[in-house]
Order: sequence, then structure tokens, then C-alpha cells
Amino acid sequence: MKTIVSAAALLAASLLAVPAFAANLVLYTSQPNEDAQATVDGFMAANPDIKVDWVRDGTPKIIAKLQAEIQAGNPVADLLLIADMVTLERLKEERKLLAYKSPEAAQYDARLYDADGYYYSTKLITTGIMYNTSAAMKPTSWKDLTKPEAKGLVTMPSPLASGAALIHAQTLAAVPGLGWDYYKALAENGAIAAGGNGAVLKSVALGEKAYGMVVDYLPIREKAKGAPVEFVFPSEGVSAVTEPVGILASSKNAEAAKKFVDYVLSEKGQEGFLKLGYIPARNGMKLPEGFPARDTIKVLPIKAAEALKNTDQDLKTFSGIYGSN
Amino acid sequence: MPGYVRSGNSQPAWLFPFIVITVFVLSVLPLARLAMAGIAAFASGGVIDVFADPALWQATYYTLVTSVLGTIVSLLIGCLFAFLLTLTDIPAKGVLSFFFVLPMMIPPQVTALAWVQMSGPSSPLLKALAIAPPLGAPQPLYSVGGIALLYGVQHAPLVYLALRAGLMTLPRDGVEAARLSGASSLRVFRDIILPLSLPGIIAGAAISFVSCTGNFGIPAILGIPASIFTLPTLIFTKFSAFTSRTFGDVAVLSAIIALISVAGLMIQDRALRGRDYRVIGLSGASAAFELGPWRFLAAPLLWAILFFMLAAPFFALVAGALVPAYGVPLTFKTMSLHAFEEILFRQAVTRTAFINSLSLAGGAALGLLLLTVLAAYELTRRRDTVSRIVASLIEIPYSLPGIVVAVAFILVFAAPIPVLNVSLYGTIWIILIAYFSSFFAVSLKPVVSAFHQLDPALEEAARLSGAGFFRRLFDIVVPLIAPAAGASVILVFLIACNELTISALLWSAGTQTLGVAIYNLDDSGSSDLASALSVLIVLMVIAMMLLLELLAKRLPKGVVPWRS
Repeated sequence: MKTIVSAAALLAASLLAVPAFAANLVLYTSQPNEDAQATVDGFMAANPDIKVDWVRDGTPKIIAKLQAEIQAGNPVADLLLIADMVTLERLKEERKLLAYKSPEAAQYDARLYDADGYYYSTKLITTGIMYNTSAAMKPTSWKDLTKPEAKGLVTMPSPLASGAALIHAQTLAAVPGLGWDYYKALAENGAIAAGGNGAVLKSVALGEKAYGMVVDYLPIREKAKGAPVEFVFPSEGVSAVTEPVGILASSKNAEAAKKFVDYVLSEKGQEGFLKLGYIPARNGMKLPEGFPARDTIKVLPIKAAEALKNTDQDLKTFSGIYGSN
Repeated sequence: MPGYVRSGNSQPAWLFPFIVITVFVLSVLPLARLAMAGIAAFASGGVIDVFADPALWQATYYTLVTSVLGTIVSLLIGCLFAFLLTLTDIPAKGVLSFFFVLPMMIPPQVTALAWVQMSGPSSPLLKALAIAPPLGAPQPLYSVGGIALLYGVQHAPLVYLALRAGLMTLPRDGVEAARLSGASSLRVFRDIILPLSLPGIIAGAAISFVSCTGNFGIPAILGIPASIFTLPTLIFTKFSAFTSRTFGDVAVLSAIIALISVAGLMIQDRALRGRDYRVIGLSGASAAFELGPWRFLAAPLLWAILFFMLAAPFFALVAGALVPAYGVPLTFKTMSLHAFEEILFRQAVTRTAFINSLSLAGGAALGLLLLTVLAAYELTRRRDTVSRIVASLIEIPYSLPGIVVAVAFILVFAAPIPVLNVSLYGTIWIILIAYFSSFFAVSLKPVVSAFHQLDPALEEAARLSGAGFFRRLFDIVVPLIAPAAGASVILVFLIACNELTISALLWSAGTQTLGVAIYNLDDSGSSDLASALSVLIVLMVIAMMLLLELLAKRLPKGVVPWRS
């Protein structure tokens, strides 16, 4: 009898221990785990009465999760902090976002946020080339990756797993002289596209591949920790995403969510990103260590509206070249 | 006196209906819902798109090839260990057996992560030893062969356990008679032991094959970087690119995996049918063969295999957790505990995952125990057709791949429950219910075997003295089956703690499990953190297995899988 009673008590205790959404705010983000934790920690330190629970995954996967939850009638997230404006623009058009005019916006370039207040860029993340320092060739141009020296040694993130990778492909595809033919030439040279930016970092740093297309902060940070990698801004220019933040229309904690938006746009929040090694989006901020001066970084243009319209077709084109992943 | 016992006239009337309803909710409803979604997809014509998709056929092909090769590898290793540890006088059997079963208890994605750390140009371990392959050398494990090899390592214990159960009941006198007539050891093995161990080998092969087809952790870590998708990873990627058609598509894909699993089990059934393996004589063929000088070859061989299966990957995992950055060789100077610090003290997700996995595992283990005590009581007392059907319905979700169970439960609970208007999808409860469904059979088995050893006369005596149902249950039955119940709880707890496949589809904010946390950490490029978390989990698994080992003396035979 005693055993059963204590077993039942244990069962009850274990069920009660299940955190049934004790959090006030739920953040879906595509930042790497350590960065997401640091961002959330910074916010909670500034707002001790709000508890944030967060989920990390690649931008397309996070959006898929959200869509599945919306379809099931139970969207969990209050906030999104994900790779690109194009995705948030789509959600805005689907009326899934809440408009909020943050007072911090005055400190930002008008191109970096939505005029109606649906989303705000938080940082600048460029995609360039990383290489392993024991590689024979030091690439300086995107085209170097199609050279025979790089045969079978190139890896890149898949647009199906990474929002930044999708914008990157769409950006390069619009550059005269590169275009989808460039991606075909890469594929013919044995380049592979799989997983997210984390996978590329790992593969090149560990020497499984010698060259990779990747977001800037990952290799720059790893180099500082001693990893045998270098990052270059290719001569043609780099693509960029701005990791915007947006509040979901279905949020049950809109007030707390607005505080989060204000925080990540504030000087303090931006300094947090700077410390993690990102280029802050706010005017007048410094650049993290290891980056060249901001005006020497040539950012390739992308037309957001056009990119949004072509996304499905571009994904198909990409999959057609690199297989179904 | 089964006829006398069966009447069960003093048992509460609700008991059997309660069990039937539970089994209906946990097995029949989700699988019927899955079948319906599949049929609906067929009817709407959307299925043509699914079948026209080359990715489906590619994935089916890879699933079959890796599973067949994996089964062959697990047969080779599993049979070697089973024959040597059961039939010979090889030293340190208990320890070898304990370690050999260990890979089965370790989450597959941890196995995969450890092996990746161990090989390729990346390996901190090989770099430390300065024997790492050159830059750009492909990671050999990111291939069909690599996936199959790890399937083999992960499932070899299943073959070992299935075969050993058969070898334990070999007739000793048959072997002795042959010996007395002058047959050589080889002859005895070939003519007596091998034919009689065939059922065990076939059963082991079938279990291994079915487990391979449903494995998610290994092809997720080894296959996705090389664009090798098996059916479970294809379902996972379909969910990662959610569209309005996703639910229908994955229902069809799940149905294909379920068909492959059922086909595997039917082939086993077919192979065993029509043969008569009944033997007369004393069983318990312990040490039928003396190895003699061969032991100097056999024992080191087994230890060497264990070293490559367990120790080397584990040290690679530890090394992977200790390097400060990718590609840095591990030395005493570069070594850093940063990853452990981050995992233990900074990452909220670790704590959440530990709490979730432990409460899910505890909830599933104890909740199922309450169910299984009642179910085992009723099923061993009734023994009629209906209860046999109920018993096999309990088995079905366990024999199906976790991803199929997960999809079925998503379909049942995606929409809010009617009347109550509560949504389970996106909460921890949907994972708990799926665990209940998937691990019911695991929990039931030890308890049923304890009930079979129970003398019904005891309970009858109590009944005649006027004791009611609960009084009899708590005062007589439960104390007698307590050790088996303890084993059942630990087994379910172990399996549920390390689960990935089900929770990979069902998790949401705040409901990450340990399996999901490791997978996501690795996926986001933080494989040092993933390794550190994996190291902690392996230590936890070993601790729980040791606990079971300590309990073993008080348990019925066969409950602790690795003990004789």
C-alpha cells in the first residue's frame, strides 16, 4: 500500500513539475543557442518581472513550426527574432503581425524597419566566404569557389534550412555575372548545400571542407577563440540580412512583447549584440572586433518585394540544382 | 485450476472496460486517425504528388538499404557476443554483457555524435594523436555505409538479447550425447546449436531491422549533411517546411514506414512458421564449450570490439566537449570546461530539457505502472480472445517507429479536443500521451511475467476471507510483484529519458526534451555544447543501469535484459 501511495505521490509531483507555460513571453529565434540565451538574459536583467522562454531553430523551420501551430489553433510564440525581413514581410501581409511604433526607431535608418511598425531590424549579418587556414587557395571573389582548386571542397547552407542562406542565394542570383549559372557552376565543382550556417562553420573549421559560404559572425568569433579559420568579404560584395524582431498578432502578452522590442533596439540591447560579435543596426554604434571598417563592406542590394514574390520559384530552382534538401 | 479462477466474480465491473478504453485511446484511435488521413490523401488525389516525388522513392530506397546492411552488421556483432558469452567459459561474462547492452540504452543521436567526433579530419581525438585525415577528406560516416554501421552498433544488443534468450534454453543433454559419441566442438555447434538457435537469430534480425527503419537520430546526424534522407528524416524535413499539404503527406510517408515494419515482422513470422523447434531435456547450457587456448583470442577480441563501440566514441565525445573551438587540437593547454559551464549554468534550455525529460520519463514510467498493474492483472486472469486482442493492441504502437506514433498523435490532437475545447498540440501533454502509447508494452512485459509466476491460490484465499479487490491488490499482489514493477519503472524511465524521435516532432517552446536539445545544439553549430550534454546523459544512463543491476537479485529472471 505504502509503495502505491508513494508512487502515486511521486507521479503527481512529477506531473506538477511539468512547466505548463510558466513563462510570460515566448520568443522564437534563429540566433545560435548561446546568443539567444545571452539576449534573453540581458532582457530579463533589465525587466526582472518578465520571464522569457525561447525556442531556437533555423528561420524556415521556426516559421514552419509556427504555421503548424497556427493551423492547430494554438500558436505559442509572442515574438519572432529571425533572420530576414522578407519572411516578416510575408507574415505582415498574412496579417499575422502586430503593429507597434517603438520610440527607439528614431535612432535607425528608415530602410531598416517597417514604416507601419510591424518589424524592426536589430543587426546586420552579412554572408561572405570562410576558409580553413590550411587550405591552399585564399579566396577573394565568389568566383574563386568555382576554380579547380576548390573542387569538392565547398559547402554552403541550404535556403531550405536558413533564412540568411535564402536571401544570400536570391542576392547573388540577381548579380550580373553571377546569377543561377554561378550556383550551377558551383554544383558542378562538387559544392554541397545542406543544413544551416552552423553546419558550414563546423564543416570548414574541422577541415571536412576547405571553403564555405557563411554568415560573418560565426567564423570571426571562432577565429578569436583559436579556430583555424578566416573570413573574407568577397570583392563583388556580400549579401546581408538584418535579423528583424516582430510581435505576433496572436500574442497574449503584447505589452511585455513591446518591452522586448524596445530593449533589443535600445542602446543597451544593441551593445549586447555588439559584445556577441554582431554588427549593430542602430546608428552610431561601434563595430565588433575582427570586422573591417563599416564603409569598406560592400553590401549587395536586394529588392525585398521581388524576393518575396519569387521565393517559392527560387527555392525550386535551388533544389533543382542541389537536390531535395 | 484456471477454470475456477477465471470467473473473477468479485472483481470490479469497471476494470476491464477501463482497460479496453485506455487501449482504444492509446492505440486504436491514433492509428485509425493516421489510416484515415492516408486514405483521405488517396481520395483527394494529393497522393499522386506524393508518389510522383522522387524524394519519396529515394528515401524508401535509402531506408531499406541502410536497414538491411545495418541488420547484417548487428547480426554479426550480436551473434558473436551471444555465442561466446552464453556457451563458453569466457571470463568476465557479467561485465562484458553489461557493457555490450549499453549502446542500446544510449540515445542514437549521442552515438552518432560520438562517432563523428571520433573519425574524419575533424576528430579532436585523432588530432591530439596527430593521425587525423587531411583537409577536405570526406567524413566517412556521412554515407550509407556509415549509417548502416551505426545502426549495427546501436541494434547489435537487440540481436544479442534475442539470441541469448534462445541459447539459455538449449538442451544440455543433446550436446553431451553428441560429445560422448565423439563429435568435435565444431560439429556440435554446426549440427546441434546453430539449427536450434535459428529462431533467436531470426527474431533478433527482425527486431533489429524494424528498429533500423524507424531510427531517427542516426540518419538525422549522419545522413542530412550528405543529402541522404531516410523516411523518418524525410518526414522531419517535411515538417520543417510546413505547408497546407504537410499533414496529408506525412500521413502517407508514415504509412509506408509502418508497412515496411510490418513486412519485416511478417517475414520473421514466415521464417519461423512450419518449423518445429521443440526440444526435450534439461535446459541451461551454461559453458557447453571450453575455450581452452582460444580464450586468449576470444576475450581480447570482445574487449577490442567493446573498446571501439563504447570507449573510443565516449572519449571522443569528452574531447569534443573540451576543445575551446572547432578545429583546435586538444591538449592540456587548450582544454576548457567552457562547454560544461555553459550547459550546466547558463543555458536555460538544458535545465528545461532535463526537467522535461525527467518529468516526462517519471510521469510515463509511474503512470504506466498503474495502468500495467491493472492491465496485467486482468489479462493474466481472463485469458480469453478479447484479452488476447487487447494485449496485441498494446504491442502495436511499440513495434511501430516513433515517428509514426508522433504523426498519429499530431493528427488526433492538432485541432482542439471537441467539447472540452483544449489544445494539446504544442503542450507537454501530447508528448506524455504519445509516450504512454509507445512504451505501454515495455512497461507491461516485466509485470506480466511476474503475474505469471504468481500463485492464484494466495489471492483466492484472501478473497474467500472476504478481502475486496483493492485490499487484495495492495496487500497481496503488489508486494509480490514489486521487484518487477520497479524494473518496469526503471526500463520505461531509461527509454523515455533518451527518446528523440517522438519529441522531435511534438516539442514546442518550453517542452524541449534532452534528445531534442542535443539535436538542436548540434544543428546550430554548437557541437561542443551538444557533446557536453551528451557526456552528462551517458553518465546518467550508466548510473540508472547500475541501479537496475543492484535490483537484479530480487527480480524474476529475464527482467533485467543483460543479466542471465
